[in-house]
Amino acid sequence: MRELTCIVCPNGCSLQVNQDVGPWSITGNLCPRGIEFALKELTNPTRTVCSTARTSFAAARRLPVRTRGEVPLVRVRSVMSEISRLVVDREVRMGDTLIENVAGTGIAVIATADLADLIEGEDCDGRPIRSSD
Amino acid sequence: MTVRNVDIAVLGAGPAGMAAALAAAGGGADTVLIERENHLGGILKQCVHDGFGLLRFGEKLSGPEYAGRFVHMVREAGLAVLTSTFVAAARHDSEESVLMLVDRSGVTELHAKAVVLATGCRERSARQVMIQGTRPAGVMTAGAAQYYVNVLGYLPTTRCVILGSGDIGLIMARRLTLEGAEVLGVFEAKSTPSGLSRNVAQCLDDFGIQLHLSRTVTRIFGDDRVEAVETAAVDEKMRPIAGTEERLTCDGVILSVGLIPENEVGEALGVPMDPVTKGPVMDQNGQTQVSGVFVCGNAAHVNDLVDYVTESGERAGAAAAAFVAGRRTHRLLPLMADSTVLLYAVPQFVDMDAPESGAVVYFRSGEELGVTVVEVTAGGETVARHRYQHLRPPEMERLEIDLNRIPVSAGSLNIGVESAAAAEMTS
Amino acid sequence: MSRRSQHIQQRLQQQVEPNISCREGHDSIILEGIVDNWAQVVRAGKLAAHEGYKGVVNRLAIEGLTLPPPRSPKLKDTALDGLHVDVLIVGGGVTGCAIARELTRKSISVLLVEKEDDLATHASSRNNGMIHPGIEPHPGTSKAYFNVHGNAMYDTVAAELGIPFTRCGSLILYQERWERFLGPLFMARARQNGVPGVRLINKNEALSLEPHLTREFSAALHMPSTGIISPYLLTVAYAENAVQNGARVSLETMVVDMKVREGRITAVGTNRGTLFPRVIVNAAGCYADAVADMAGDQFFTIHPRKGEIIILDRKKGHLISHVVAKPRLLQVKSDTKGGGVNRTIDGNILVGPNAVEQPFREDYSTDRDHIKLMLQRYLPLVPELSPADLITYFAGTRPATYEEDFVIERSQYVRNLVHAAGIQSPGLASAPAIAEEVARLTVGALGEVARVGDNPTFDGHRQGIPEPERMTWEERDALIHRRPDYGIIVCRCEGISKGQVVDALNSPISVTSIDAVKRRVRAGMGRCQGAFCTPQVLRIIGEQNGEQLAAITKKGGDSFILATETKTVQRAS
Repeated sequence: MRELTCIVCPNGCSLQVNQDVGPWSITGNLCPRGIEFALKELTNPTRTVCSTARTSFAAARRLPVRTRGEVPLVRVRSVMSEISRLVVDREVRMGDTLIENVAGTGIAVIATADLADLIEGEDCDGRPIRSSD
Repeated sequence: MTVRNVDIAVLGAGPAGMAAALAAAGGGADTVLIERENHLGGILKQCVHDGFGLLRFGEKLSGPEYAGRFVHMVREAGLAVLTSTFVAAARHDSEESVLMLVDRSGVTELHAKAVVLATGCRERSARQVMIQGTRPAGVMTAGAAQYYVNVLGYLPTTRCVILGSGDIGLIMARRLTLEGAEVLGVFEAKSTPSGLSRNVAQCLDDFGIQLHLSRTVTRIFGDDRVEAVETAAVDEKMRPIAGTEERLTCDGVILSVGLIPENEVGEALGVPMDPVTKGPVMDQNGQTQVSGVFVCGNAAHVNDLVDYVTESGERAGAAAAAFVAGRRTHRLLPLMADSTVLLYAVPQFVDMDAPESGAVVYFRSGEELGVTVVEVTAGGETVARHRYQHLRPPEMERLEIDLNRIPVSAGSLNIGVESAAAAEMTS
Repeated sequence: MSRRSQHIQQRLQQQVEPNISCREGHDSIILEGIVDNWAQVVRAGKLAAHEGYKGVVNRLAIEGLTLPPPRSPKLKDTALDGLHVDVLIVGGGVTGCAIARELTRKSISVLLVEKEDDLATHASSRNNGMIHPGIEPHPGTSKAYFNVHGNAMYDTVAAELGIPFTRCGSLILYQERWERFLGPLFMARARQNGVPGVRLINKNEALSLEPHLTREFSAALHMPSTGIISPYLLTVAYAENAVQNGARVSLETMVVDMKVREGRITAVGTNRGTLFPRVIVNAAGCYADAVADMAGDQFFTIHPRKGEIIILDRKKGHLISHVVAKPRLLQVKSDTKGGGVNRTIDGNILVGPNAVEQPFREDYSTDRDHIKLMLQRYLPLVPELSPADLITYFAGTRPATYEEDFVIERSQYVRNLVHAAGIQSPGLASAPAIAEEVARLTVGALGEVARVGDNPTFDGHRQGIPEPERMTWEERDALIHRRPDYGIIVCRCEGISKGQVVDALNSPISVTSIDAVKRRVRAGMGRCQGAFCTPQVLRIIGEQNGEQLAAITKKGGDSFILATETKTVQRAS
């Protein structure tokens, strides 16, 4: 018997998985996504990795990014390392792909904000922003 | 100094304010959206983690993505937006609100027929939770830590403890760990976590970070920079228990000990506040007790889902537009929450004369409960009921009521837990 | 051994601890031995005071307790090495800075050294900003004289230095029957000390002055000359005006030793080189006795008396305008002032202070029980106040001597040393008067070895950093037109603009830390306690001073706000 907390939605259902005999039985889920989650969690748990990437723009030092889909939990560190090496040097838009296949997971890393939005207009100095290089 | 007149001024361009401004302008009102920071989006700009918008968009978006969608809508709608603009003073006259706006071009006196407060919330600070000791660098709220890491790109600590298990604290435990800092543990004085259980699972359990319940940080050591903290177990009244102290070496203390609605402008406009929610007393559309002043989002009460924040913004914005379009009558019934089971329920009043017959009630339970039926009654009749698998204080629940079902004779609405016997019969 | 010291020794041995011994040195009594706890140290010191000696030098040690050394600057260089100055002032608190400004009226070279990265970091910023009327000190003491005279000078001082000051008045509320007997006592004290306008008023009159007060009192003592000021702004203003008139201020500079020959200090060692001043002014606050000791002239001992103060939200500032206190029996004995509530010049309400004897001179930690006790005791004075209004709290230590009086005099044994020591409450109120007297003594000492003329270019007027909040909207609009930075608000709780932060960074005494900015313009002092504005101020400091964000500190030393930049270290995958 294993206890899991479903992370699919804010309900955070407490799932009980009985793997002792016969087919696995899963209880505690409010919706079918809980079953899917439990099966994956016990075989190959996956997570979306959200982070930031360096940019070459002084007025927006970091750009928020995430993996487009979920990557294996065991690969999260590798995904972070590869994101850490990334430097965004063009004005990407929300949803643009930054890394096609991160850490060999087959999953892309995408921008989750318009870089232009972070640097467009004026910074806290009231002067137009310029690129740092 | 310039003078300007508008129908509606929406204060704050986070998710609540953007939704309110869109709804207000959609209702035909001349609307201006005012934001003190230089970009739209509010705190979502720094919430790079995902989990936003599941109800709204059926997708798990990150904070900037959720905000970005509304920023695009604001642009497409061609809304008047004032960024880097600060409301330095406010007053309410009988027919309008007068806001003194400061930006880099000078002072503007803005006259608005209606105001929507979407000013969000702030975090409680160290001293407000009675942490003692010295005042070195390295003690910060989770939100400040989030800004340092996600916007500035700096780690504010290399080895820290987190006090309080609010969602931002849990999220920052994961975020700091992923960026290479060491999180020694999360300490929560209460016996249950304050944040959502899925955040305990994916932010702490995934990384082997310990959650210490019924334990708190009692003292901070260090002169220049934090050098250590003392933690101690607490009794049920949250008083530290002598002999349970433990010293941990660290260079940072991150606080996630609660959020407080920001209502300084509302107070200046004379809006009465609810001491429990710390937000204005309001009806289902965010109309406060000052005519023409509306409230939504975390300024009204602290939410845990942005989807609900957006919903409240839309309602307040539409109501503000209706208010500007023409006077109408109000018939307010108080909504009384059974304080023995519920922490609070909002709105505090339901306006029976509101044009829309659907109203939404949000509530939090005061303790963890298993299968529970919550019902809203009026004049001896049940007007809404819902069966919950579980109720937990960190999880805000939503219940829709139909005004048409409320008896004309009703003097108030009551929300509480249905008696066990009745629940048994219907389950 | 004299009969007098023998008698004191006997008393101390009987009443405190058998192994205490006493001897005489210069005109003081010196206590030596080992005791068990700090309460015994203080008790012995107090018993030995007022017994006909000039002062008490309390060298009692506590079994198993080593007191920490003073907080010292990290900096070590030779920037000041070999410097000759007419006057060296040790200590950048309000006393030292006021003296510095007063001395610049003469055409002499003045150097003020302060070991911290900013001025007013100890007792001068850790108080409630009250300008006492002068009713508490014993008639005939230095305290009484300087308090009353200093208080009277404040309208002029504040106007010249360009800082806000209000004569808000104070009320002591009497509730119990016994407390009413204190009224006539205080009236007599007011007459003796020369405190103007003091009146016993009835409840109705008190309530007409302060309508939000508790009803739980029967009468009140009204002292209209009580004032309120920002103690750190005052200190900074004094120092800046001194600098404008030619004085030099060296921060992160600590006096570590002195060379004394034939009754004169010939050289002063610091972490930034050896100085050769003609006259030295000791304004070293809680370490004034240590500085006196370096010169071989210790005749008093500082026992740091801690006080804690609670800060409430400005939202509640409208509830009171006067300083409102409860009477205390101790007050009559002039040990410490009675705590209460008061409104700061910026509109926050302060609760406290208390008074706790403890051995650490720079320990500003606070105590949960003390804070709760003060909330319990003083919030009921204004029933609309609640613990939910609490923003933060802090502690300070009062540099008290066992005689409980100021030490303001030229040294009897070292000809070029002037003491301004033991300046505890009401030191802030007394500062302008103390500065005049110390400057007179210093010029006297200097006059013995050099010619001292007036400074023909002295200008006592200082322009402070603009405070938009105190302006009309038209003035504020005009200011923003001239300086658009004044239209960019960085601290939302206090409404502080980028322009103010920039001006603080570029002020006559340059500062670089978050707390130094906060002391000058209040960014971060509000209800969010800097959660929102610290990152903004950090960015402005970085941009103005061309500094890496990770190099910026909260308060100098190693108090860095940030650790390392993310994504700069390659992790093995």
